[in-house]
Amino acid sequence: MVSKAPRVDLTPSFTVIKNSFQKTKSILGLSLVLAKAEFKLRNEGSYLGIFWYLLNPILMFVLLFLIFYDRLGSEIKYYPLYLLTGIVMFNFFQSSTLEAVRSVANNRWIIKSINFPKESLILAIIIKNIFSHFFEILLICLTLLFFEINIFNILFYVPVILWLSFFALGISFILASLTVFFVDIESIWTFAVRLLWFGTPIFYAIEGQARLFYVNLLNPMYYFITIARSLIIYGKMPELWLLAAGFFYGLLFLLLGLRIFNRLKTKFAEKI
Amino acid sequence: MERIIINNISKKFRIGCNRNTSFLAKTLSFFSGKEAKRTIDVLKNVSIKVNPGEIVGIIGDNGSGKSTLLRIIAGIYEPDSGEIIIRGKTVSLINLSAGLKERLTMKENIFLVSSLFGLSYSEIKKKFNSIVSFSELNSFLNTKLYQFSSGMLQRVAFSVAVHSNPDILLLDEVFEVGDENFRKKSAEKIKKLVTEGCSAILVSHDKEIIKKYCDRVVWLEEGKINKIGEPADIFDKYVKSSI
Repeated sequence: MVSKAPRVDLTPSFTVIKNSFQKTKSILGLSLVLAKAEFKLRNEGSYLGIFWYLLNPILMFVLLFLIFYDRLGSEIKYYPLYLLTGIVMFNFFQSSTLEAVRSVANNRWIIKSINFPKESLILAIIIKNIFSHFFEILLICLTLLFFEINIFNILFYVPVILWLSFFALGISFILASLTVFFVDIESIWTFAVRLLWFGTPIFYAIEGQARLFYVNLLNPMYYFITIARSLIIYGKMPELWLLAAGFFYGLLFLLLGLRIFNRLKTKFAEKI
Repeated sequence: MERIIINNISKKFRIGCNRNTSFLAKTLSFFSGKEAKRTIDVLKNVSIKVNPGEIVGIIGDNGSGKSTLLRIIAGIYEPDSGEIIIRGKTVSLINLSAGLKERLTMKENIFLVSSLFGLSYSEIKKKFNSIVSFSELNSFLNTKLYQFSSGMLQRVAFSVAVHSNPDILLLDEVFEVGDENFRKKSAEKIKKLVTEGCSAILVSHDKEIIKKYCDRVVWLEEGKINKIGEPADIFDKYVKSSI
């Protein structure tokens, strides 16, 4: 009979709370260093540098605006801002989760050589994407100025992006850990995120489309994007049920992601 | 009180293998992408105790379970059975280039790897000059690592590891790369850390290093402990058995 081996760490400690605090602090510290390193690596040797962060959303925006403004956007107030907010928020979610899918496999030699908090690898991806997202936020600010909308509305975006980050972090934890055991997850997610992009009201509105509205009630991105648009563009407090649903999805996926990641992380080194 | 207590641990791995399989099995394997696997016993009922202030050498042929044992002590792998007790902070140098990013400078890499070894930003800043001077690579601080030789990479990784406040240092064939002077300097540094209370486990095929610096040697053979004892004696027996 093979029994599961307990690993007893007898390092002297003061209190459980102090240990948890220290652990969280060290995870955050390491995540910041990893994020900084990855951010530098992404721009290393690039002549255009940070302009790449602006180029993607700008080109996407121009293309979608030209195609859809007359058909879908003419009745939407401040359509350029409506479109841009949707694009940059979805970009943040998409790039974070797509990077996270391969993160464990891409760091196989570190995982097989050093015992460090593996959560940092995923958290670093989110932090790095927040750095990049900052440039996209500047783009939104410029557009706000162009439309003479109160630029301070952007301050309301801070809690929204924070909560969206929790949601993206939760999804990333799930994807990163499951991909170690089922390689197909990477292809499935690449396809799923594309479907989600079309299903989320980024370049169109769902008002008056009952079927699409009910489908989007199950789409967390719908809540985050709708809340952000309401606060930043229209300067209105979103309806309470939207806030509650966004809060619920963010928390649910963060806790679920952490649970799955913590259960599976001890096997990563053997499986990669 | 012992730093490391390893009590009867075993570890199995499922590894890919080429078997003479039927046409149907080959077809299924082709479409599913799954390969045939077999189970191997990498470690079988291994028990060792390591005291503070002790350097234990591990020798054995390739595939005898040396690196797996180090990974279990480091907490990277979990044993399938048995018990392991670790007292203190473990720092492992199992793959020299692990954690190093070749497109970043040496300075950036010191911060990165030190963080992976559990040092806080303020601790790294305090130890930075000492790490750099130990590596003797002061003039390459702003050079990217892809321009470094393997010996220079070893210097960076080793310098960071020994400055990471280890209570237990796990070293896997780190002396096989690099020049003679740095090998001696590194071995002396380990000796110094050990006299201050650190424990070290050293996997090496270098007879001189094992004989000169280790207090005891464990000879692993096919996942089992063949012999434990005095370094020179065990190493000679190991060499004779290999001939």
